[in-house]
Amino acid sequence: MTDLTSNAPIIERQPEPVEQGMSLPWLAVYKRELNVYFRSPIAYGVAFAILFFLGLLINGYIAQANGTYPADSTYAPGLLTFLSFLIAPLLTMRLLAEESREGTLEVLMTMPMNESQFIIGKFLAAWTYFTILLLLTLVYHLIMVVVGTPDLGAAFGAYLGAWLYGGAVLAVTMIWSAVTEEQILSALLGAATVLVLYLTDIAAIWIGGQNSTNGLADFVRELGLQAHYNATMAVGIIRAEDILYFLFMIIGALFITTRIVETRRWRS
Amino acid sequence: MIEVENLVKKYGEVTAVKGITFTAPSSQVTGFLGPNGAGKTTTMRMLTGFTPPTSGNAIVAGYDVFDNSLEVRRRVGYLPENVPLYRDMTARGYLMYVAEIRGIKHRRQRADDVLDRVGLIDRAESRIRTLSKGMKQRVGLASALVHNPPVLILDEPTIGLDPLQVLELRSLVSELGRDHTVLFSTHILSEAEQVCDKVVIINQGQIMAQGAPLDLRNSLQEGGRLIVRVDAPSQAVLAAIQNVPGVRHAEMNDDAIIATPTDTSTDPRAEIARTIVDKGWNLLELRPLAVNLEEIFLELTRHQGVVAENVSEAAPTEVKEIVS
Repeated sequence: MTDLTSNAPIIERQPEPVEQGMSLPWLAVYKRELNVYFRSPIAYGVAFAILFFLGLLINGYIAQANGTYPADSTYAPGLLTFLSFLIAPLLTMRLLAEESREGTLEVLMTMPMNESQFIIGKFLAAWTYFTILLLLTLVYHLIMVVVGTPDLGAAFGAYLGAWLYGGAVLAVTMIWSAVTEEQILSALLGAATVLVLYLTDIAAIWIGGQNSTNGLADFVRELGLQAHYNATMAVGIIRAEDILYFLFMIIGALFITTRIVETRRWRS
Repeated sequence: MIEVENLVKKYGEVTAVKGITFTAPSSQVTGFLGPNGAGKTTTMRMLTGFTPPTSGNAIVAGYDVFDNSLEVRRRVGYLPENVPLYRDMTARGYLMYVAEIRGIKHRRQRADDVLDRVGLIDRAESRIRTLSKGMKQRVGLASALVHNPPVLILDEPTIGLDPLQVLELRSLVSELGRDHTVLFSTHILSEAEQVCDKVVIINQGQIMAQGAPLDLRNSLQEGGRLIVRVDAPSQAVLAAIQNVPGVRHAEMNDDAIIATPTDTSTDPRAEIARTIVDKGWNLLELRPLAVNLEEIFLELTRHQGVVAENVSEAAPTEVKEIVS
């Protein structure tokens, strides 16, 4: 190798620094992402389909239950948690897959921001969108209040539970968006993962039999989503272990996603 | 200022960058020159903190890219090769987003400043997807300038542009080189020659040569070959020149003769001229064979490994004459 750099004196000139303040990169990512949700046809499509479907079902429920059962406000959030295997992958499939495919991830990861800030911003935007969807279903609670006297404690538990449940499911499906650049594949894998987590109840029954106290069966059941929602929060029983389950799911899934993005960057 | 020392990047079995060492001085445009797949992009990704090196050191704007990645990222503006942008955002919106991530105050003002600098202020409210390729390139460049970084790393910024846009971009890059450290990759040699104060030539993950374009060119001409044009029967002239002391070899090339001196320090021009005049012929032309970067590059990559240690020994075997 030849170094022919001339020894001429170099005049050191620095560009004027730009005035900088406190930087909250996650907030910038969050705001942009939320803005994208409100301009995205998929997000509106999901909201429309869910609310329309919920409307039909609840209409039928009220017609049937009228005069037979007490008014129940846990119906809407319960349905939303069941449908989350469809909602969550559709909301999260784009989040990281697109950034990676378009190459914008490369630009963002050369800015002073680490993966976790980026991923937290993305996740919070998806969760905010889900929260808005959940709040919209409060309209059914209002209808229940008009037609009957729903149990407010149960309603609160069910809504709080559905909110945490949604967060956990979104965080889990987001992992797939980091794994693949294909949005459809990410959505399918996400839906499959949520279904598996949802159906662990059935797996527990297979393992342990209907009335058994098999340790493994209990363990498998506790891993799943239903064990922490349907029998507890959905009927207004708020237990610390359920709240912790959902929070750990969120934190764990975000941690895995961060690691995946980091690994992809190291290999590129 | 960018200082790179023994930088290596391996992907499993493949070594993309094989221990390169070079510097890009402040307030200069350094051209990073090499064919596609030479390791330019990989090196730039290491310098911007996007991907960590396997071994070696790189100091960018005073910070180590591995130990102080965030500090480096604060001081570097990077334009990746394919200019990734959010196509649904407006140009101004995108720049304000970048400014927000970087924690810059007065974001709108700053976004407009850089848009003005790249000549796109009148398209500030256009969605990026509606912009032409050249305009997108400028939005990308603007986003690298938002925080007015001391170091700018531009990966093939002129690729895919039309000739006019290329000229505009080159002049912008030269201008930026006055107060930024600019590292600019290209596989177009004439571009490096026009824009850069210094070039670093890379091939197959190794540095082949570095220096000012003029110095590199001189080093090839020094002890380089001479072109002689004489108004006389060429065979006789060839024979005469071959016998001149200090000439190792002479050969015909169209209507001229190319003479190679015996060693790099010998300049047999005076002897050749005297010989020809003594024979009573008319000497039409006698000058060193001009070489441009294109040839330096071809030479270096052809004799890779053999000549990498010394450019001046890279005796071209088949050099077309270039009018300098």
